[in-house]
Amino acid sequence: MPSPRPQLPITRRELLRRAGTGLGMLGMAGLLADAGYLDQMVAAEEGYRNPLAPREPHFPAKAKHVIHLFMNGGPSHVDTFDPKPALEKYAGQNLPMENLRTERKTGAAFPSPYKFGKYGESGIEVSEIFAQTAQHIDDIAVIRSMQAEVPNHEPSLLLMNCGASVQVRPSVGSWLTYGLGTDNQNLPGFIAMCPGGYPIQETQNWQAAFLPGVYQGTYIDTRHEEVEKLVENIKNPALSLEQQRRQLDALAALNQLHSQQRGHDPALESRIHSFELAYRMQLEATDAFDVSREPKEVLDAYGPGVQARQILIARRLVERGVRFVQVWHGAGQPWDNHDDLEVNHRNLAGQCDKAIGALLSDLKRLGLLDETLVIWGGEFGRTPTVELPQAGANAGKINGRDHNHYGFTVWLAGGGVKGGQVYGATDEFGFKAVVDPVPVHDLHATIMKLMGFDHTRLTYRFAGRDFRLTDVFGNVVDQLIA
Amino acid sequence: MRYLRTLAVTWLSACSLVAIAGQPQAAAPAAEPEKFFTEQVRPILEKRCWECHGQDVQESSLRLDSQQGLTAGGSSGRSLTNVAQPDESYLWEVLQHGGSVAMPPDDKLPDSELTVLHEWIKLGLPWPGASSPSAVPATREERYALQRQQHWALQKISDPALPPVQNAQWVAQPLDYYILARLESHGLTPSLPADRRTLIRRLKFDLLGLPPTIDEVQAFVNDTSADAYEKLVERYLASPHYGERWGRHWLDVARYADTRGYAFDRERRYPYAYTYRDYVIRAFNEDLPYDQFILQQLAADQLCSEPNDPNLAALGFLTVGRKFNNRHLDIDDQIDAVGRGVLGLTISCARCHDHKYDPIPTEDYYSLYGVFASSKEPDEFPIIGDPTQTPGYAEFKQELDRRQAELDNFVETKRDEIAQAARRHAADYLARAITRESEESLILQPFIGLKGEEFKPRLVQRWREQLVRTAKADHPVLGPLYELALIPDEEYTTKAPTVLERWQAVVTGTEPGQLNPHVKEALQREPPHTKLDLARVYGQLLSSLYLQQQEASPAATESPSAAATAAAPFDTATVQVVEILTGPSGLTDIALSETRSLLTRADGNTYRELERKVQSFQVDSPGSPPRAMVIREDDKPHNPHVFIRGDHARPGKEVPRQFLLALAGFERKPFEQGSGRLELARLIASPDNPLTARVIANRIWMHHFSMPLVSTPSDFGTRSDPPVQADLLDHLATCLIQHKWSLKSLHRTILSSSTYRQASLTRAECAAVDPENMLYWRMNPHRLEFEPMRDAMLAVASQLDLTSGGRPAELTKEPFSLRRAVYGYIDRQDLPGLFRVFDVASPDQSCPARSRTTVPQQALFVMNSPFAMECAKQVVARTEIVSVAEVHPRIEAIYRLVFARSPSAEELRVGEEFIAAASQETAPEGHPDAWQQYAQLLLMSNAFLFVD
Repeated sequence: MPSPRPQLPITRRELLRRAGTGLGMLGMAGLLADAGYLDQMVAAEEGYRNPLAPREPHFPAKAKHVIHLFMNGGPSHVDTFDPKPALEKYAGQNLPMENLRTERKTGAAFPSPYKFGKYGESGIEVSEIFAQTAQHIDDIAVIRSMQAEVPNHEPSLLLMNCGASVQVRPSVGSWLTYGLGTDNQNLPGFIAMCPGGYPIQETQNWQAAFLPGVYQGTYIDTRHEEVEKLVENIKNPALSLEQQRRQLDALAALNQLHSQQRGHDPALESRIHSFELAYRMQLEATDAFDVSREPKEVLDAYGPGVQARQILIARRLVERGVRFVQVWHGAGQPWDNHDDLEVNHRNLAGQCDKAIGALLSDLKRLGLLDETLVIWGGEFGRTPTVELPQAGANAGKINGRDHNHYGFTVWLAGGGVKGGQVYGATDEFGFKAVVDPVPVHDLHATIMKLMGFDHTRLTYRFAGRDFRLTDVFGNVVDQLIA
Repeated sequence: MRYLRTLAVTWLSACSLVAIAGQPQAAAPAAEPEKFFTEQVRPILEKRCWECHGQDVQESSLRLDSQQGLTAGGSSGRSLTNVAQPDESYLWEVLQHGGSVAMPPDDKLPDSELTVLHEWIKLGLPWPGASSPSAVPATREERYALQRQQHWALQKISDPALPPVQNAQWVAQPLDYYILARLESHGLTPSLPADRRTLIRRLKFDLLGLPPTIDEVQAFVNDTSADAYEKLVERYLASPHYGERWGRHWLDVARYADTRGYAFDRERRYPYAYTYRDYVIRAFNEDLPYDQFILQQLAADQLCSEPNDPNLAALGFLTVGRKFNNRHLDIDDQIDAVGRGVLGLTISCARCHDHKYDPIPTEDYYSLYGVFASSKEPDEFPIIGDPTQTPGYAEFKQELDRRQAELDNFVETKRDEIAQAARRHAADYLARAITRESEESLILQPFIGLKGEEFKPRLVQRWREQLVRTAKADHPVLGPLYELALIPDEEYTTKAPTVLERWQAVVTGTEPGQLNPHVKEALQREPPHTKLDLARVYGQLLSSLYLQQQEASPAATESPSAAATAAAPFDTATVQVVEILTGPSGLTDIALSETRSLLTRADGNTYRELERKVQSFQVDSPGSPPRAMVIREDDKPHNPHVFIRGDHARPGKEVPRQFLLALAGFERKPFEQGSGRLELARLIASPDNPLTARVIANRIWMHHFSMPLVSTPSDFGTRSDPPVQADLLDHLATCLIQHKWSLKSLHRTILSSSTYRQASLTRAECAAVDPENMLYWRMNPHRLEFEPMRDAMLAVASQLDLTSGGRPAELTKEPFSLRRAVYGYIDRQDLPGLFRVFDVASPDQSCPARSRTTVPQQALFVMNSPFAMECAKQVVARTEIVSVAEVHPRIEAIYRLVFARSPSAEELRVGEEFIAAASQETAPEGHPDAWQQYAQLLLMSNAFLFVD
């Protein structure tokens, strides 16, 4: 029995009226014609059927997907992308300025234990621990003047992800899937990967808040390698695909009988259709998460380990049309090196540097870099001064850095970003952003712009207010955009 | 359109953004000055200027919120509208940050905004609407008065006259008149009544959230009595499962969850949230009048006379929300739950400024803020009912006491350690208390003994205060310290010797005016040369005498509590000195309650672990008796201040605790009793309140018809559309109030109407006129929400556990609980993917109506989840199935179980074909066989999930 072709269950009048509510009907029709298959036919009458159908943003934009590499815990900018030779001069001594107040007490200047080198035509300096990433520096815009609001993980994570440090607000990924839908209905539109468990603040980092639940990030524990452990209910534990096909065909026949008696209610039709989507999703998701299908040279380029695997998965996902992929470094806060920073930062960077380099090459090779915005960063940076020892905190060691929200680095690449530039600067020692500071709201406004939205106009009415990602803040940093 | 909006809020919003995208980027200023002003200029003025030059504040006597204000100018005496050349205008000069006055004061406006304002100045500062001021209320108060007079939802509720209808015999309830009159005026007719099979399935899912059994269906179909339907309604309303179904609707409004939200390493769970959930279920089952229901949820602490009254659990409405570790946001959550949940008003919008649309000045937000800020959750929630009735209570209590004692002992030990360290190193604290030395230089002093976290900065202030209280010029111990400490630092060297000399001449003794001999001796031996030295000499004296005494008689000094009782073998002079440290309210008399804030990081971790052991035990132990999540009034009510722009660091004017202007009018009076929370509750639950009854009547209607009358069920403000059936809504609200706020009687009214009993089939002629059924020409077919879907799957598999009440059960992890879904554990910090996928209400904010999305993940759940597979397996394992061998009758039997009816011929054929095909292969051991696969696909079917 063939799978059923749902009829287009709406009248022309209804179609036009809905278009009248604002849908660019011509645009949608074009899209239907392009796609040329059922999903989009159903999407056309959309009313309440497929909230994830692709939609056009406010204005044309290059970026269509986002890969957010989240170095949770707070990577040290002075050890990665913001060299501060002046720290050498004061090594072991107090800085000639008062240490800014952070979460814990810090003491003397702590020069980076790593060497920096100049890369690319732009000659931007990058630390040796990100030497592979640095090969792409001419595609990267390094924002050295990021600012968050407080030196604590929880509020800063929420700020970076959801634009508000305490209240419950939708995450960037949720806003973008709400605004744009997603290109591949056989995969979730917004995926958050984190090996071994949740980061601090847990699923709030990818929450939909008051947006409908479909815009929430789907969490994937990339510690697992088998696809059925990655995506909930993606595979039947006992039935083969053939058995399932037979089951779905019989189901479709019964549903058609049911539907015929009821005059083809769109709600019935769209549920019928959702089983076909689900069936395809099983195949597609299995494929997307199975990196073993990559040629050996690609696997080698990304290198071994879970970071490499999940970064490669991220590439496979955007290649398949997933809108927003967040790649968290690990459960808890791996980059939070209050002690043993030299060893730990080297290890952490070592786990992902090669894969990030490979990701950028790969996206370029596949022609995807232009339409994929890659974001690298944490919730804040770290102090240029050493954290003073405290029992129960840093095991009494004096070789780490405290949190620093006054100034830190985030970089952007691809997706219409003007690469090969450094934007903004911290002070001589890297304590505070002093040139062109970029508050997180401005970063969000800029990401929105890169994705084709005016951040002040992508709103959602809830509880009597038109909410937006940037609340009442946010200025686009136009210099970052090509 | 309303249909669309409620069902697809998302979509509409998404559409409108696309619509905007199609428009030009900005209105052309000259061509459309009005649009230019409202879309571009006004937002800038509002954002950048009005906070200081608006209605509430007029810095420099300047107002920038009207053309008159612009013309008048401010205290500079320069008008802002008197412009020949834009670049010469005063306004432009100020905005340029060029001259002596620069606005906004902090930073220049961004270029984009300056460009807009420049354009505006160039156009001559047009202010649309300014020419006809009478059309727009001039003041905030006038606008409010007008809205109170005009906005439909703020008008008194009265029962509207019944409209005339032609087909009067269709009418079964007065409410049918309103429906029928509108249908007739559009040339439509209502649908035929639904058949009995359809009706009983609709009714049982509606009232109980459960599928009818075949026996129930047959009994109803065969019941020939005239009141067969009414009897059915009564039976279901009397079922204990009614409260489980309708209580869940209210829990959506109450943002119910079993956890507080993010808690780092503390206990995240609310151990007693379930008592609120059970209270809600019980209230619905007992048909607690809705006004009482609201009163109890807002002020049960002031209504219940017994300290263990089970109704205290009602206060969970205020306490089960997310906790933000920020008191202001916790209160905001309470205001929002009451505002939107009960009153249908978005009061929280007035937190940072006056409500932009509704008559809610920001002062009103803070009036309510003051009410809620005047109550707190107690340290320990009260037990409700009789704890000894809880099985296993005795064992529970014993173990709990043991754990509590462990925590208490730890605190006491640490308190004593901290106190002792401070006594041994009194100089450390004195040095900080009486000198202004920097920490850096103090650390280098050889006499400073406490390192790192051993030193407690928090205690320094106590030493200061204590010294101020005790140290007087005639004090035999502290007299010299007092005088010397008062000498200004720069004069110390010159003046101190004279003072010391004078003291050496004072008679020794322990009476006021004398000098304690130990002090005399110490100051003689080491006359302090600096204040730091003074701290050292005194501190070392205190510590050494303390140590002497302790060595001789540890009990006397070990703890402050023991000091009083122990015999003192020491001379009065020594005792006098040591008591300054150890005496009651002495320098080191540390209360147990303040110990926690003095712990080192490591000890703090231990503390939290021990605390969690106590709390987790209360959560997990079955013998732990239920407690109510109450709040209690503070002794002194909070006097609220407006927080400017919602920033608690910027308190503005004080406001009284009182009810909303929108509802109580200008003649309202401040609350008089305590916080005023009970008075507030009474005003909300009053029949004269125009919102409360309308809001709940609309919610009840929404759940019966899958569609509300007012499309924004939690926002009846001025931006909500008046309902098409406004008269019907008022009729329902009137019925509710007249029937003493009985929700069950409102159900009866609705359920026995002809409107409700219509068939749900579509009819082309009606759909052509009213495709969204806004006029109710049929019943709306609808999909089951998550809870009834899951419960129905378990029910047809005979697996559903119908036990009521108690601690939450885990629904999404194996082994799956078989309890009804309403008893499922809801972790708001980690809401299971399954709940999100099926649009279960987010517990983070009061939920007006659930989204209704259709996504493939929902299909995957019924196709692949172990839960769905298990249900299918259990369906075919039932004896009435197993006992039938033949295919055809077995399909019949399965249909009776799953759908409470027989299959049609076509359905039978599909079934037979499937079984034939699937039976050709033999399932490996433990894998689902053909019948199980078949049962599963029936559970997946639209016939199972949709209700006609």
